[in-house]
Amino acid sequence: MSRRRHLLRYLTSRLALVPVMLWLIASLVFLLLRVAPGDPIDALLGLRAPPEARALLRQQLGLDQPLLVQYGRYLADLLHGQLGNSLTNNEPVTAVIGHSLPASLELGVVALLIAAVLGLAVGFSGIARPEGKTDLAGRLYGIGTYALPPFWAAMVVQLVFAVWLGWLPVGGRFPATVVPPAGSGFYLLDSLLAGNAQQFWGALRHLVLPASTLGLLLSGVFANALRLNLRRALDSDYVEAARSRGLSERRVVLRHALPNALLPVLTITGITVASLIGGALLIEVTYSWPGVAFRLQEAIGQRDYPVVQGIVVVVAALVVAVSVLVDLLVALLDPRVSF
Amino acid sequence: MTRRPLFRLALAALLPAVALLSGCQPPHPSGQLVVASKSSLASVDPVDVTTHAGLQLLSAIGDPLYSASADGQLKPHLATALPQISPDGLRARIPLRRDVLFHDGSRFDAAAMVFSLERFRSLAKLGYLLDDRISGVRASGPYELELQLKRPYSALPALLSSISLTPLSPKAYRQHQSKPLADRFVGTGPYRLVSSSPQKQTLLPFTRYWGPAPRNSGLHLVTLSNSTALFGALVSGEVDVLTSSGMDSDQQRALAQRAQQGRLVEGIGPAGEIGYLTLLSDRPPLNQPLLRQAVALSLNRELISQRVSYGIRAPLRSLVPPPLAGSEPPAWPAYNPTRARQLYKQAGYCQGKVFTLPLTFRSNVPADKLFALTWKAQLQRDLSDCVQLEITGVESTTAYRQLADGAFPMILFDWSADYPDPDIYLAPMLACSKAKGEQCLEGNAAAAGSFWSAPGLQAELEASERLSGPERLPLLRQLQQRTATAAAYIPVWQVAPRAWAQPQLRQPVFDGSGRLVLQALSIR
Repeated sequence: MSRRRHLLRYLTSRLALVPVMLWLIASLVFLLLRVAPGDPIDALLGLRAPPEARALLRQQLGLDQPLLVQYGRYLADLLHGQLGNSLTNNEPVTAVIGHSLPASLELGVVALLIAAVLGLAVGFSGIARPEGKTDLAGRLYGIGTYALPPFWAAMVVQLVFAVWLGWLPVGGRFPATVVPPAGSGFYLLDSLLAGNAQQFWGALRHLVLPASTLGLLLSGVFANALRLNLRRALDSDYVEAARSRGLSERRVVLRHALPNALLPVLTITGITVASLIGGALLIEVTYSWPGVAFRLQEAIGQRDYPVVQGIVVVVAALVVAVSVLVDLLVALLDPRVSF
Repeated sequence: MTRRPLFRLALAALLPAVALLSGCQPPHPSGQLVVASKSSLASVDPVDVTTHAGLQLLSAIGDPLYSASADGQLKPHLATALPQISPDGLRARIPLRRDVLFHDGSRFDAAAMVFSLERFRSLAKLGYLLDDRISGVRASGPYELELQLKRPYSALPALLSSISLTPLSPKAYRQHQSKPLADRFVGTGPYRLVSSSPQKQTLLPFTRYWGPAPRNSGLHLVTLSNSTALFGALVSGEVDVLTSSGMDSDQQRALAQRAQQGRLVEGIGPAGEIGYLTLLSDRPPLNQPLLRQAVALSLNRELISQRVSYGIRAPLRSLVPPPLAGSEPPAWPAYNPTRARQLYKQAGYCQGKVFTLPLTFRSNVPADKLFALTWKAQLQRDLSDCVQLEITGVESTTAYRQLADGAFPMILFDWSADYPDPDIYLAPMLACSKAKGEQCLEGNAAAAGSFWSAPGLQAELEASERLSGPERLPLLRQLQQRTATAAAYIPVWQVAPRAWAQPQLRQPVFDGSGRLVLQALSIR
């Protein structure tokens, strides 16, 4: 069988599993929410609403129905692409996700770019003199940024650059006094397309601290991955062969070792992207970034079942899609991968 | 290129970028202010709003029928006089203003008020506030509202001062008579809502407002998700005004200190929130009144207030916070370890036998946890031979759910009133529709987790609801005294709302419902 057919079969088998995975995730989140103590009525009405008012609201929200009936409705709606309405304000869950997902994606993409540039630069910097000072500093950087607690790092960055120095905003996604750009929900892109410099700078200023913090925290993984894989590649036979043919060290590293060392980094990037789709919870909460993780955290606190279920299912679907895409990309780029 | 020039190049590119970004802070449009708080807002429809942030917003874009001043006095707002009550006390007529317009230009009248109240009754999550008291609403004239009451209720003007009952334009809400409208608001308030998202709302003055115009030219209400960010935003000058709701005591104290140094301006409102302990009175171990009284005497409120909140949560020995009627003199006893030890001894403890007192606190409320830890340490220091505190944390929604099942021998809660009247503090804890001796079988006292009642208590509560003015005071005091003697509830502290503003602004002021008067915010 040709490699292309193998690849197609591999892709088909992966895609066939997607609905099963999504059903499992959807069912699990439905069940876990109902098993968790407290319910939306307690969260909405608080302490002392009379039992009659509680019963009435329970009935209005359809929570008085047997669990199986609720589950059946939920799955039926899901099959029709309907995620339901929020229990707190009746807003369609698709709209809630539509507002918050672009915020998370914008933050994630910029943070990933920062992480990749920073991480790869640090990972690459020590390669000329293994075990030298630069290499050691790079290793420490990798371990240090990976070990930093995100909430602590975010608060320190916030305190220094926003509170003490006053260079950048403390939190939020856009200046309070400026109208946000309309469009896709990606503020940088929308303001660029609209040609509105004030909106662009406003969005950029708010993005710098959360994206830099997240990028910094993720960059250690990239740095370490590149350093290790590049070292391994430089010690391999084909690199020795290239050197013995009289190629310059720069050419050996850039043309022969680096492409192979970057393949595992691509897998790491895929995993990181997948995790960032769901938002970086602690970063979003610390910087009041209205992304999907921030919204999910609020919805869990309010026991807003449809919002929690909707966000989890949509994010799971995106994570699965990205994961399949990355696997496919690696399989295409690396002839050694068998499937 | 060597590494050093590369580094210099990177630095040379980075520094102007940072300078550019930091210099590009958009200026506030002239006279407009940014006000920050912690809670985000899922909906601006009064039928959905239950949070402090939501009610704060409604107070700027809506109007109540009556309003409470900071000293608790009620005065007509959209009404022109206090309700005229029928001799049987079951019908109230309220004359309304004739010069009021909605934000969409339509006219406010009795029909619009009926529309809004009926909509609230049928849709609102807090609809029970009205349903419990009012059986019918009708327009008895173009500008006269008539309410049918279920029983005489002297606090009707206070109830109608609730901003949740603000009128809405029937024209704008025609399509939303039976469903909420989450992101738009068309009412009669001094501001109109220009845009709304959970994290930000923009308000501009309503130029055709019937009352005094706002003293600023617009507001941007923003949400920051944590106390540190709120503190930082005010200190760095990013926001103009900050409200205390949801802020940690550490940051509140730091802001108060800055205000004392003249670097900020601080405003403090009347306390509307109380913290109290509910004791499960109908089963062991706290079914002995003697033990409950001993527990009440074991609480050093002053120490706890200082340790938990630097005194920001002021000690409270009444279920009704000052300055409301009946709050003075305090009915609950002050901390008295000597007397407490005597009572523990009478109950069979202290002589080699230590009473284990279980306390549940809401694990997601930082002040509650600090209270539990501090009280535990205080008892260990002062009364360790008689009593020890066993503390357990549960998440608040779990606590609310299990309260009526009698799951917690003793639990700490807080309560914020929807309108300023003693009844809204007492009835939710004491009302009991079915009692047997000192045990409440059905009603608010059971739902509140104490299951405590007393012969004649319900009749006294209902009598206090009928009376007003000085006639009501002795009854309110008596009710509190009986409750204090039974010690089924123990008030702990009261929380006054605060706000801090940049030094160039006027001092923030609050109304009698504990809400910041947003239209009074302005530059000196």
